[in-house]
Amino acid sequence: MSWFSTANSRDDIIAEAPFLAEKFHQFYRSFWQLPMLPVQTLELCRLRIAQLHQCDTEWQREEIALAAILRKDLSQWNKSTNYSEAERACLEFAEVYTMDPQAISDEQADAVKAHYGDAGLVALIEALGMFYGLTRVSQLWELPAN
Amino acid sequence: MAKPRVSAPSEQTGNVVRDSALGMVPQTVDPYLAFNKAIWHQGPLSAAEVEMARLRNARKVNCVFCKAVRYDIAIEAGLDESKVEQIDDDFANSELSNREKLLLAYTDFYLNDPTGMSADFKQQMTDEFTAEEIVHLSMAIVLCNCFSRCAVSLGGMPEDDLPRMEITVPE
Repeated sequence: MSWFSTANSRDDIIAEAPFLAEKFHQFYRSFWQLPMLPVQTLELCRLRIAQLHQCDTEWQREEIALAAILRKDLSQWNKSTNYSEAERACLEFAEVYTMDPQAISDEQADAVKAHYGDAGLVALIEALGMFYGLTRVSQLWELPAN
Repeated sequence: MAKPRVSAPSEQTGNVVRDSALGMVPQTVDPYLAFNKAIWHQGPLSAAEVEMARLRNARKVNCVFCKAVRYDIAIEAGLDESKVEQIDDDFANSELSNREKLLLAYTDFYLNDPTGMSADFKQQMTDEFTAEEIVHLSMAIVLCNCFSRCAVSLGGMPEDDLPRMEITVPE
């Protein structure tokens, strides 16, 4: 239960605003159906943002199933051999994005583009924005972890 | 001005969103525009209230484009520049209404410290806003923050502030 709603989940709280609920879901779902970015990469970035926010609710959420080792190693992805070069480029970008988007370097952007092209970089940035925002909303709303 | 990290689509449509870098991901454009339209036109908060949260976010993220924009429907709903000038770090001591100050303070918690709201602040929020209004405000902040951070991340941001630009919410 949140401090302003008796609902327990993000979706149930968003349903308190029926004028936007379905439109939010359609927009959010669109990121998980993109041809230019693998969903595993998106899920890794979403989870890394949750870790950086120390947000258990978003860490425990599962948008897609990942191999257990990918979750286990995520806080030290840069020392692990379990992530592809493309995933590592996106994770590095996601970390800097989370801390300060003005600190993103051209080299970090180019590393993402080398794997996913210009469209992939734009898609990643949009998706990171939604993951970042929804993590903060989970914290603002004090959503319980599962 | 730094160089943009991607180029806009070569084929122009006349739609400000589709013709921007966002047009390179057409799968998200229509859902974004529909969600954005709901935020600005269909919720319980006035367009002036949504615009206040948007401008507070723009100033904190330092998106030069977002700071310069004024949406015409917000002006029509009563948001004038004397009120906009009060959306600074001293807004708590401004002449804004208690409701407007709460709206801006909630926006600041999102931006600065999302786990930092006190019990007293949460009580003030629920005394002033309905659950639907809090969801509306929260989702408006998420969307504005997402795309202001997007503009910054894509590079090419002017270094100096731009003149005020009155525009219509893109559809």
